Amino acid sequence: MEIGPIWRALTRNKTGAILIALQIAVTLAIIVNAVAIIQERSRLMARPSGVDEPNIFYLSSIGFGDDFNERVTIQEDLDAIRNTPGVVNAIQSNSVPLRGGGWSMGLQTEPGSESESSGVAVYFIDEHGLDTYGLELVAGENFTAADVNWREPQAVEWPDKVLLTQAMAETLYPDGFMEALGNTVYINGNEPMTVTGIIKQMQAPWNGWNGVERVMLVPQHTLFGSTRYIVRTEPGQRDRLMPEIEDMLAERSRDRIIRGMTTMEETRERSYQGDSGMVGILIFVVSLLTAITALGIVGLASFSVSRRTRQIGTRRALGATKPAILRYFMTENFLISIIGVLVGAALAIGLNMWMVQAFSLTPLGWYLVPVAMVLLLIVGQIAVLGPARRAASVPPAVATRTV
Amino acid sequence: MLSMQNVAKIYRTDTVETHALRAFSMEVAEGEFVAVTGPSGSGKTTFLNIAGLLETFESGVYKLDGSDVSSLSDAKRSNVRNEKIGFIFQSFNLIPDLNVFDNVDVPLRYRGFKSAERKRRIESVLETVGLASRTKHLPSQLSGGQQQRVAIARALAGEPRFLLADEPTGNLDTQMAASVMALLTEINQRGTTIIMVTHDPSLAEQATRNIYIRDGQVSEDSSAETLSAPEAAA
Repeated sequence: MEIGPIWRALTRNKTGAILIALQIAVTLAIIVNAVAIIQERSRLMARPSGVDEPNIFYLSSIGFGDDFNERVTIQEDLDAIRNTPGVVNAIQSNSVPLRGGGWSMGLQTEPGSESESSGVAVYFIDEHGLDTYGLELVAGENFTAADVNWREPQAVEWPDKVLLTQAMAETLYPDGFMEALGNTVYINGNEPMTVTGIIKQMQAPWNGWNGVERVMLVPQHTLFGSTRYIVRTEPGQRDRLMPEIEDMLAERSRDRIIRGMTTMEETRERSYQGDSGMVGILIFVVSLLTAITALGIVGLASFSVSRRTRQIGTRRALGATKPAILRYFMTENFLISIIGVLVGAALAIGLNMWMVQAFSLTPLGWYLVPVAMVLLLIVGQIAVLGPARRAASVPPAVATRTV
Repeated sequence: MLSMQNVAKIYRTDTVETHALRAFSMEVAEGEFVAVTGPSGSGKTTFLNIAGLLETFESGVYKLDGSDVSSLSDAKRSNVRNEKIGFIFQSFNLIPDLNVFDNVDVPLRYRGFKSAERKRRIESVLETVGLASRTKHLPSQLSGGQQQRVAIARALAGEPRFLLADEPTGNLDTQMAASVMALLTEINQRGTTIIMVTHDPSLAEQATRNIYIRDGQVSEDSSAETLSAPEAAA
């Protein structure tokens, strides 16, 4: 290999090489951190909500007539929906995971305003709630119909039973979530609730909340004028049932408006719209930067080949084979790229350390920098292949040309 | 050592065919110092390129060291150039970013010699051309004559059977030209066959044999004493 002479020649003619190495370094630093952000956003977006997303949709019913009896309407609506063929189950609830709007309260293990409480998202459900959302009960028992009561808009009292997610139970009982089962927790400071069951997982309506897995389910129907029905269908029946149930509810009472028909999948998409937009932009930036760097390498190598045509011919005349010329330019590019990726690695780590401090980003995965280094080296070698092949095709007779 | 029989070379463009060599025949024996002269466009450089395996040709037979090299692959031609032929160019063709040592090293690396062997050869040939103290100099730090000496050292380092020199003193002043010619004569006297293309009759006179090319053919083949001055100057 001609590494020594190539390196020495580079050090004597270094402006172009330094510029390309810098370009590679900056590209690597940006790519690595962009990929880290993409990974973090993708990881957030990939978190399960805990509910049977593909088969759930929801809609709102808003009563307005003087004769509108909300309590009766809710009972009759739910009976009608549950009896519709293709429907697995249905409930009235205040919200769904990832919707962006919902209730939150504080729970504590000791009564009194001095005790520290932990924030928790609240879903009102009845005994059909677990089945409707598709939740897994890991300990304790579901609510019964007898547990469920009606909540007026100004009500401040809470039911005496509550189901918690495992994450919420662990927050309240760090020694183990099972300790929560059967224990009393306090809402509004002093109001006791007995934890009668623990569900494996369910997300709050707010995906950006750091306690997104902390959820409590309470056995209540709400009488707030506007109600939300959550419907779970058999697989493949959702899209057929959505208009059917909307029409059926509209037919059942003229004193209300049916609106806000939305699937859980749409809710997820909307919830992470900003994140997926960011991922899309970053992927574009990464691709663009990589392409610009590759083009830079092509440009420098092409210029280098044109400038050294006579020199290449001389090397050929002195015995260099075509592969030897090809190897020369590949090696030269490899050396430039190695400098670029080494500087880039340091830049990437430095930039990440700053971003971790400034924006609370997750530190880089250990593999990101080496993988990016290898990938950029490969991109560099692919980029230089064309100019190197052109160099290898320079005929040796060029050496004797006088121009 | 070198034998060409009826070699023809044609350069083609879309509209024009130029017959650079026509039924070109020539024999060069081992140890000869052959000067090739001729008017511009006569085919001197084409002959040199074909002799040095820098170009292919349309027809005829070319034997080098008894082997037919007419239809060798590109890689084999590179190997033959590297092992058997030394090139000296009018413009020296040194690599400007490499110092004297690395320039002489270029063909040796392609030959695959180990580092110690390359070093021994480089030091030896630089001693021969009187530049042993300039190994770290870049070409731009040397005079024209010194640069041509480096090029001669580079050509000699692989211990080739023969040297092909294309106007080796064309870019040098009279004093440097004389010095380079003296060096070539000395190399020839040590047994290396030299074929030198030149326009300069006074240089041609220093060769042991003169060949005059006109219209792509050997027009005259005589010793230096019998070459007529007007033809050589043409």
